[in-house]
Amino acid sequence: MRTISIALAVARKDLTSEWRTRELVPALAQFVVLALVIANFGFQIDSHNAVAIAPGVLWMALVFAGLVAFGRAFAAEREQASLEAMLLTAAPPAAIFAGKALAAALLLAICEAVLLPALALFFGVRLSFDVVSAVLLATVGMAVLGCLFAAMVARVRARELLLPVLTLPLWIPFVVVGGQAVQAAMGGSVTGQATGLLLDLDILFVVLTSLAARFVLDD
Amino acid sequence: MLVAAGFIFLYAPTDALQGPVQRIFYLHVSSAIAAYGCFAVVLLGGVVYLWKENIAADRLARAAALVGVVFTTVTLVMGMIWAKPIWGTFWTWDARLTSTLVLWIIYAGYLMVRRLAEPGRQAARFAAVVGIFGFIDVPVVHFSVTWWRTQHPGPVVINDTLPAEMLVAFLITMACTLFLAGVMIAIRYRIEVLMDQAAEKTVPAPIVAPSEARGAR
Repeated sequence: MRTISIALAVARKDLTSEWRTRELVPALAQFVVLALVIANFGFQIDSHNAVAIAPGVLWMALVFAGLVAFGRAFAAEREQASLEAMLLTAAPPAAIFAGKALAAALLLAICEAVLLPALALFFGVRLSFDVVSAVLLATVGMAVLGCLFAAMVARVRARELLLPVLTLPLWIPFVVVGGQAVQAAMGGSVTGQATGLLLDLDILFVVLTSLAARFVLDD
Repeated sequence: MLVAAGFIFLYAPTDALQGPVQRIFYLHVSSAIAAYGCFAVVLLGGVVYLWKENIAADRLARAAALVGVVFTTVTLVMGMIWAKPIWGTFWTWDARLTSTLVLWIIYAGYLMVRRLAEPGRQAARFAAVVGIFGFIDVPVVHFSVTWWRTQHPGPVVINDTLPAEMLVAFLITMACTLFLAGVMIAIRYRIEVLMDQAAEKTVPAPIVAPSEARGAR
């Protein structure tokens, strides 16, 4: 119970500071729209190939937006050395980690709220419940993994280099399964199995990262 | 390894369909197994380090990660050389090939963490976490041929489909490769010990004000 309330407090703190500065979300929203523009030039999109390319563009934009978002997740803590202060309190590191991951996941979800309609608008694809649920389920797992490695690289030299190198390989399962789900949904077929698999992956990584959080945060 | 080479090239029969290029098989599969073994050592070393803070476990993990990456590289390169004449291409985005490439990238990332994190406790802890998460990919690589329909053939050794002579050559190559991996880890472990000792002995240079330094000269 206490763990959950601490996690919620940490998440609320992050979201409040984002609301007051409004620096990450507008930049991310611009970033994903720009990714769609770049995809247009890279793929020479026309009305025939748009639906086939859209799922790939969606995941590319999402993965790179995620890297930017999680790269910033510990920026404020690092600049003000507030992570050490939080760790000095009696709060369990796993709870602090869960709060950070929750806030990062919500920020990424806001960015998805821009990305998905933009994709539907520019690429002419249908947004079904299956597409949204696949993307949101993938966000959970991506957020816990992204936050774990963001916490790690926050204290390492060359952190901008190391975050993608560590995070992207472990995100691949989500892109594989989520990509299949989105492709199937945009093609109009059912995606029951892929959604279940995404849920399994989420559970696996939430458990693993909460066990590992102690070793990454605690110094 | 010379003994293994003798068995591969002189004893084992030439494949009826693929010709001499099939002889890559012995080293390709053996080094893949050796890589799995190395990464298992990284996993165990990481768990023991996080649990007991045992520096020897960390050094062992460090040594095994490097050797594992080397053997994964050997596996990938050998596989590509074999794929060119048989599949007609060096690379296809097949589940096993892709997951092996990801495995290589994960452990290359592990080695990067070791270089970039602050040496000592921090590097050891961070690397242990990466090593534990990275190991998730090993069963994925191994079972990829059964889980998905792949171009890469499934296991032939445990399924008893190899002719006896090929099996003998394979087992000897595997034993030699595993032995080589063990020796390489042992050598690297020794290097890690020496490097740790050297790092301990290096006394940070005394901070001298520029004026004093000039005066001394």
